[in-house]
Amino acid sequence: MERDTLRRLEMLNQLSLTDAQKEDVIAFFAARDAELKTLEAIDTSDTERMVHVMPIMTVVRDDVIIKTFSREALQQGAPETDEGYWCVPRVVE
Amino acid sequence: MKIYTSKVDTDSARVVVADDMFLTKDMPTAAGSKMLDGYMSLFDAEVLTRLSDKGYVLGGKADVGEFAFDLIGETSYNGAVISDGKLTTASAEILKAGEAMATLNMDVNGSTRRAAAQNGLVSIKPTYGTVSRYGTVPVACSGETVSVTSTTADSCREILDAIAGHDDKDGTSLPTASCEKVKSAPAIRRVAILTSMTKGADADVLAKLDSVKAALTANGVEVCEIDNEVIPTARVAWNILMSAELCNNVSRYDGVKYGYRAQSFSNIDELYTNSRTEAFGELLKSTILFGSETLSTDNYMKVYDKALRIRRVIVEAFAKIFESFDAILMPACSALAYTEADIKENKYLVFEENFYTAPASITGLPAVVFGGAQMVGRSFSEMALLDLAKTCEKEGK
Repeated sequence: MERDTLRRLEMLNQLSLTDAQKEDVIAFFAARDAELKTLEAIDTSDTERMVHVMPIMTVVRDDVIIKTFSREALQQGAPETDEGYWCVPRVVE
Repeated sequence: MKIYTSKVDTDSARVVVADDMFLTKDMPTAAGSKMLDGYMSLFDAEVLTRLSDKGYVLGGKADVGEFAFDLIGETSYNGAVISDGKLTTASAEILKAGEAMATLNMDVNGSTRRAAAQNGLVSIKPTYGTVSRYGTVPVACSGETVSVTSTTADSCREILDAIAGHDDKDGTSLPTASCEKVKSAPAIRRVAILTSMTKGADADVLAKLDSVKAALTANGVEVCEIDNEVIPTARVAWNILMSAELCNNVSRYDGVKYGYRAQSFSNIDELYTNSRTEAFGELLKSTILFGSETLSTDNYMKVYDKALRIRRVIVEAFAKIFESFDAILMPACSALAYTEADIKENKYLVFEENFYTAPASITGLPAVVFGGAQMVGRSFSEMALLDLAKTCEKEGK
């Protein structure tokens, strides 16, 4: 794995690794890549993908009002709120 | 080392303890992660509501490894649980101490089954979709299941019976007619030992397998050795699918709406990045990055799509075996103990050790652990598996 690729993955996933952690992750990726050969050896050209092992149907619920939570309750675990809003650093200059 | 993340004083004999992966409105839910330290849910997990409705008492929450996908709980931000020099899970310690009749666990990547096998416990991972996951912390949704662990097969059966069944609130919950199939599963008469799945197991584990084989034979169950070259590839495919699903599921934790927020940041990007970097452990970070890479444009077809196709190949391989056999006997782990030194040497050991647990995870098949070994059955055969475990318990006494 290229270091540029790792940096891109860090940015995409909003993580920041130390140099030592980067070395560790590169070795981890190398181990996973090596394992892929066992899958490549199996011909799946005529095999369909299986996303779910059981038949999953779209859930359709009755159009009825059910219990909901108040804004105050939903924000009780928030790191910072102000008058019912979640607070984050300014994003528009 | 922390066993309970929250505990209730009760004299009830019907105490069940839940892994800290189940949402509870009266106790915090951290999922073993600094990210969710102190998080309070607004509702209870469906399985806990069902237990409460039937008179069971939630005696507390057992600590777990970060998002419960590690080897055996070693990545909890509270520290690993160590007993007699070996790594173990909080749930296993609680059961061994006689503090609960059973524990509810999230079997994401086999840690529950490994702990049961190493501690002489019985654990049942039911057929995917038969037990509601509503109100559980999601990690690898296409394969994870609620499981039940206890010191006896009877207790596992009692609790599983209380929590199983269709739930409208869970989009992956099977219809009632399907869930009812567990009650009519035929008894297990023929069992295959998959020799390719005994690879890497040490002498102690193989001795446990031999003991279970002897108990099965003594009870009139026919046991044959067979081989299959496809099922062992479940580990690699599951590592890909689990990592991709985990990557997506933990993307919700950003330090804004709930959970940990870093103290230092100068803009929104730093808020996200610093919060996640400070709160997540190293195994989790590596797995997120790997999962993300498998879903990238360059790798999607070669890696992720391939793993989905391999899943079907493995499901078909099991179906073929189940034409001739009722269940498959295999180890649940390579050794009967892990130590801190094992993790220090290789913190990614779980990505190898789940060789034994991935086949049931990726296929959604039920698996029971008893006598230190694991038996995987046809879909909806969980009660038949527990019946057999009970029979073998008697044999061992």
